[in-house]
Amino acid sequence: MNAVVEVKSLTKKYGDVIAVNEVSFEIEKGEIFGLLGPNGAGKTTTVELIEGLRKPDSGFIKVCGIDVSDGIDKVKELIGVQLQTTTLYDKIRIGEAIDLFGGYYQKSLPATQILDELSLSDKEDSFVEALSGGQRQRLALALALVNDPEILFLDEPTTGLDPQARRNVWDIVRRLRERGKTIILTTHYMEEAERLCDRIGIMDQGKIIALDAPRDLIAKQNLESAIELITSNGVSTEFFHKLPKVTKITQDEDRLILHTKEASPVLTGLIRLSEGNGLNLETISVRRATLEDVFLELTGKKLRE
Amino acid sequence: MKTLASQMKLEFKLFLREKEALFWTLAFPVFMIILFGFIWKEETWDGMPTIGYLLPGIIVMAMMTTCIVSTATGVVEEREKGIFRRLSLTPLKRQTLIGGQIINRYLTVLVQTALLVAIGIAFFGAAIDGNILLFWAVLTLGAISFLSIGFALAALIKNEKSAHPLSMIVFFTLMFLGGCFLPIDQMPAFLRPVCEAWPSLHLNDALRMIAIEKAGASDIWHGIPFLLGWLAGCSVLAVKFFKWE
Repeated sequence: MNAVVEVKSLTKKYGDVIAVNEVSFEIEKGEIFGLLGPNGAGKTTTVELIEGLRKPDSGFIKVCGIDVSDGIDKVKELIGVQLQTTTLYDKIRIGEAIDLFGGYYQKSLPATQILDELSLSDKEDSFVEALSGGQRQRLALALALVNDPEILFLDEPTTGLDPQARRNVWDIVRRLRERGKTIILTTHYMEEAERLCDRIGIMDQGKIIALDAPRDLIAKQNLESAIELITSNGVSTEFFHKLPKVTKITQDEDRLILHTKEASPVLTGLIRLSEGNGLNLETISVRRATLEDVFLELTGKKLRE
Repeated sequence: MKTLASQMKLEFKLFLREKEALFWTLAFPVFMIILFGFIWKEETWDGMPTIGYLLPGIIVMAMMTTCIVSTATGVVEEREKGIFRRLSLTPLKRQTLIGGQIINRYLTVLVQTALLVAIGIAFFGAAIDGNILLFWAVLTLGAISFLSIGFALAALIKNEKSAHPLSMIVFFTLMFLGGCFLPIDQMPAFLRPVCEAWPSLHLNDALRMIAIEKAGASDIWHGIPFLLGWLAGCSVLAVKFFKWE
């Protein structure tokens, strides 16, 4: 076990609200680790505590073996952080900003190299105020990379980006992992978590309720395939328990979701059942289970409001 | 040290790029001295050229644009935009960041003063007859005192949009009621005790006494506690109420 981040019994309260509730986990070198959960779950607070932006009420955090509570200066040299909204001075040029941040660290990469890596070379002399949303996100990422950090923290890195820009960011993240960096990202986009992360911690109300590789999270809950159906006669879930091979049934408003490891026999059984009982299936679809299903199963809530 | 130097260099570049700040800091005071110089070119007050009386007042006014208005608006903007927050994730020390800003603003004050004195002496017959070193020392104390007011305002003003108007109110109050232009004995009697409380009044008095009456340290001593008092009080306020986010 080559843990670059160790978090043990971490707790943070804001008045009566327990934002982070006895959270413990470890992150291994070279993995892309995701914290997934709805807004307010405590993901950003947890990450801020690891970065040293906030102080915990109890528990400890070690980054590369250094205790964050008394070695924060050494920790800052080793990490890079991309905040959800990074604003800089309007009238600073991109190249100047990267040089400025580079100067804060003991070792830093040349600005031209970072600009090249993030496709910002032609914007080196542009003012920050002239950048588009996607370019600002890349600049924020560039600033997180100036010191060639061991660990990169990305807070909602693709929020507000169009699909193409989002995929560009994912490519950059994968390239960084290939270079041996450890990446910790927070997101509420299930697709992002599934596609990018080696392991995901699902957070809700300040606690980690599941932690595993995306595939395993789905498999452990016996959720592999999901058959979604909407009926016009509105029958109860008990009715569908008669079907063989159905491992779990969840209800989301007027949709019923039947989970199974084998979709075909369930579908056949479903058609037979509906024919025999005058069931009117309005919509029926089959898909692979996703983390949204896992979240719904574990918390009874939707990941996205 | 290297970080401090590059920080200051960049802030200087940013300062030159902000047209509005440049106007208030350089163009406005220069405009004032040229305007007043021409209006009162042949005038004298109590035997000395009027401009000699007004020059310290304009220097103090210029100092306040830098130390109070620029400081309050700049720092509030940096905090509310999240710039401080982003910087706190780097190894940059807060002392280096704030120290660099203080030094930069002081250097700006020196440039403003030198420019105004040069114009005053060259074109309008002003003079600094007294001890230049003492003048500079009192000026420096004044700058530090006003900087503490600027930082206290930055700590107390929460809203980015109200930073400029509120600091301008403070600026104009200290300017007009502090005797930058109008001697306070021309003011209504009930206002005079209020004026006596302002640090700008005592700074103006001290600088005028040195420049015109060749006063020594012992002559101007009575005004110094006011400057120190404001410095101490505002520093306490700033430290107590300042938030980095």
